[in-house]
Amino acid sequence: MTLTANPLRAGPRLSRIPEPSTLVIFGGSGDLSARKLMPALYNLALQRLLPPTFLVVGTARAQLADALFRDELHKAVSEFSRTKPINEEVWRSFADHVHYVSTGTSGGYGVLGDTLNRLEGELGMPGNRLFYLATPPSAYGPIVHGIGAHGLARTNGWSRVVVEKPFGNDLASAVDLSEKLHEVFREDQVFRIDHYLGKETVQNILVLRFANAIFEPLWTRQYVDHVQITVAETLGVEERAGYYDHAGASRDVVQNHLLQLMALVAMEPPIAFDANAVRDEKVKVLRAIRPIATDDVPNTTVRGQYAPGFIEGMAVRGYREEDDVAPNSTTETYVAMRLFIDNWRWEGTPFYLRTGKRMPKRSTEIAIQFRSAPHQVFSRESAAGLEPNTLVLRIQPDEGISLKFGAKVPVQGIRIRSVNMDFVYGASFMVDAPDAYETLILDALRGDATLFTRRDEVEQQWRLVDPIIDAWRAGQIDLPTYASGSWGPTEADLLIARDGRTWRQP
Amino acid sequence: MVVDNVIWGAPASGVSALERELARLRRARSAHASEQGHTVARASVLNLVVFATREVHAKRAARTIADLSQRHPSRAIVVWVDRPGSTATDRLAMHCDLPRADGREQVSCEQILVRAPGDAGARLASAVIPLLLPDLPVFLWWTDTPPFDAPHFDAMLELADRFIIDSADFARPELSLKRVREVCARGSGRYGVTDFNWTRLTPWRDLVSAFFDVPAWRPYLDSITGVRVGFTVDADGREVHPSQALLLVGWLASRLGWLAAQSLAPSEAGGMLFSMTRGDGTRIPVRVRPRFERGLEEGDLSGLRIQATRDGKLAEFVVKRAAGNAHVTTSVIIDGSLVTERVMPLSAPRVGDLLGEELTIVASDHVYEDALAALVALS
Ligand SMILES: NC(=O)c1ccc[n+]([C@@H]2O[C@H](COP(=O)([O-])OP(=O)(O)OC[C@H]3O[C@@H](n4cnc5c(N)ncnc54)[C@H](OP(=O)(O)O)[C@@H]3O)[C@@H](O)[C@H]2O)c1
Repeated sequence: MTLTANPLRAGPRLSRIPEPSTLVIFGGSGDLSARKLMPALYNLALQRLLPPTFLVVGTARAQLADALFRDELHKAVSEFSRTKPINEEVWRSFADHVHYVSTGTSGGYGVLGDTLNRLEGELGMPGNRLFYLATPPSAYGPIVHGIGAHGLARTNGWSRVVVEKPFGNDLASAVDLSEKLHEVFREDQVFRIDHYLGKETVQNILVLRFANAIFEPLWTRQYVDHVQITVAETLGVEERAGYYDHAGASRDVVQNHLLQLMALVAMEPPIAFDANAVRDEKVKVLRAIRPIATDDVPNTTVRGQYAPGFIEGMAVRGYREEDDVAPNSTTETYVAMRLFIDNWRWEGTPFYLRTGKRMPKRSTEIAIQFRSAPHQVFSRESAAGLEPNTLVLRIQPDEGISLKFGAKVPVQGIRIRSVNMDFVYGASFMVDAPDAYETLILDALRGDATLFTRRDEVEQQWRLVDPIIDAWRAGQIDLPTYASGSWGPTEADLLIARDGRTWRQP
Repeated sequence: MVVDNVIWGAPASGVSALERELARLRRARSAHASEQGHTVARASVLNLVVFATREVHAKRAARTIADLSQRHPSRAIVVWVDRPGSTATDRLAMHCDLPRADGREQVSCEQILVRAPGDAGARLASAVIPLLLPDLPVFLWWTDTPPFDAPHFDAMLELADRFIIDSADFARPELSLKRVREVCARGSGRYGVTDFNWTRLTPWRDLVSAFFDVPAWRPYLDSITGVRVGFTVDADGREVHPSQALLLVGWLASRLGWLAAQSLAPSEAGGMLFSMTRGDGTRIPVRVRPRFERGLEEGDLSGLRIQATRDGKLAEFVVKRAAGNAHVTTSVIIDGSLVTERVMPLSAPRVGDLLGEELTIVASDHVYEDALAALVALS
């Protein structure tokens, strides 16, 4: 029987609420679940965005009673929720539908399947299931196998799987993981998280570019001199050294966030704002990025590792002194590189990407620097204060857009200075944006994959990053250090200075 | 005409003097902010014109505007007119200020007061037009029952992209809502109309819709056999017109294709009892009844129950405000046994929340217009 649409859900005010469904979290007792997933779910409940019947089933290997699991989650949500204090009545009503099943024993998956069927049956739910893989990546394969072998994804409703980053640690492992997922799920059932895409301001890049007619004509090699994309953190490796020391900045940030941001700024207009149309265009532009040949790695990329220094006036350790980091670790905490896109729009326009930990300031931004006016009509001294027009898309903090242009200084005669025209997103619209995980979980429950990365995207991203990592590992290329609290090693300044340009001060 | 400069800012002698004063205030604020290391942004997304004849309404509007300044940076023009007949000088007075939300520095809102004597109707639009920021939508919030037949009402309406009323404040909603319906019909394509009493229903509509998002329960929509809606009255039981509750019934009727079977009639137990007919001709008794509730405004919904029968099963879909009125409980009962129950936050809406929601909607809300038409067809 096909159902007609709900006639009551019409008009500009009612949100689209997911169908009744069950979220199965593998690694439900882990850190991600406590810090991000549960607080996001609770906040969705608070905003009345969850479906009228909604179940959460956490699983992991340890044995844990439902009541204890709920208590742990209550503590976590009280600590990490973006809204405080916790609304106890809403929490209780939500927690009533939270359960825990251990998959540690041999019969674990059977028990999980029985539990899901029983709980869904009690509520008359069709078995719409979202499986969320929030375990260490090594467990993904066995879990997907377990889901398949026990038919957990075969129900009368839909089933989907969310996979946390990192998706593989090189092309081969990413392909392998996709293959494993595909034994049970079709590609359109696989939702790969890049939580950057869940940020309001990242989505705003598409709105700025494709809802406004005035920027797009300028968005080409003819008018753009170059583009700089920066993802700077002040944090060090914190408690994630176990993972980070194997990954490094290239796998942790370049392969996913930086390349995704680059794809969003550089892609062609999609034919619609839907999952495949947007991702088709992203893949197209990722394919057009010129791979860096091994020989070019030394002069078009720079890596670095933070040394001791100061962050906001506090002395901090160097990377090799951090807990759980090998004292001779050669993991990079900073990467800068220059990329070109071989297509009509961008031929010859360099894209400079950089990311680092222990930078002086937390900042993610994309700066489009335009060419200078073709002919300078003002005298050299009157135009001395003039810089090229720059459009900056700030992702965080202080989300917004600013445009730099020249204006006359108000005195007699002509003197020109650059001024910034600033649009602060938070000052024009609601300030408390939802957390990225709220957006992403809700989208996955609704089946909207626009903000998730598709297999071909992830693989293309690895194809770009792998040779660089290989060349670093194989060659005698330096791993310079930089003082914590600086903008990276001097080699990075040289990288861009060779082209007669400089890094912006974000 | 006494104007409190603390609330409304300094007087200005005309439009250009007023713009100069606003520019001066902005400069001063931004100098002050940069001393504190803040930056100040001037970003406007809309014009808000508020029409008030009572001081309490004008002041409430000013407070609301300041509260919303962070989320909806606007140029707000409060037009405060004496009631006709009151004697005063015939000058229009103007004041301006940059209100701030809880002491924050950012300038994102400009507030202008136009104080006018009761006979100034014909001149009002001419005072407002030069104050509007160009190229931004104009929201017109009328805080009283609009003077539907006055020429100056039409002149103000001409300026608006969205026209906002609150039928909870209408003295005779049963009459005025008919006129609002006419205003809607006239505005088609030029401006959209909305009512805070409709905004108050958004969470209720969301909750009711959510029941029928569940595929297993959606078929019950075609076989509804009864609707009960409760609305708030105060302790002395004074009759209030249940326009909000009726609007909810109008919404159900317009979405589900029900027609009025008989006109509204007061019920002996208070409230109203009437029936509607479904597409298949079945009668649906509708009961709208008064409830005494603490912490709610008169007329606000207190709960609702929808009954339906299908395949020999009786289903009840219930939304009830919980004690303390900060929450609602929604439950589904099939053949007498509780299938599911949820508690969700739902506090009594403040004017700021209502206005805030309205300011995010720039197009007409046809669902509202249809619901209003269905309500008017009932009476
Ligand atoms: N934490 C974050 O903020 C963050 C941010 C971005 C991405 N991620 C990603 O999210 C994933 C989880 O990270 P995390 O920090 O939450 O790790 P974690 O705190 O170590 O938690 C791991 C969870 O997985 C369970 N688990 C471990 N091995 C398992 C297996 N073989 N089978 C089933 N369950 C197993 C653990 O419980 P038992 O030991 O009882 O089985 C625990 O519940 C990782 O892929 C990580 O890269 C995390």
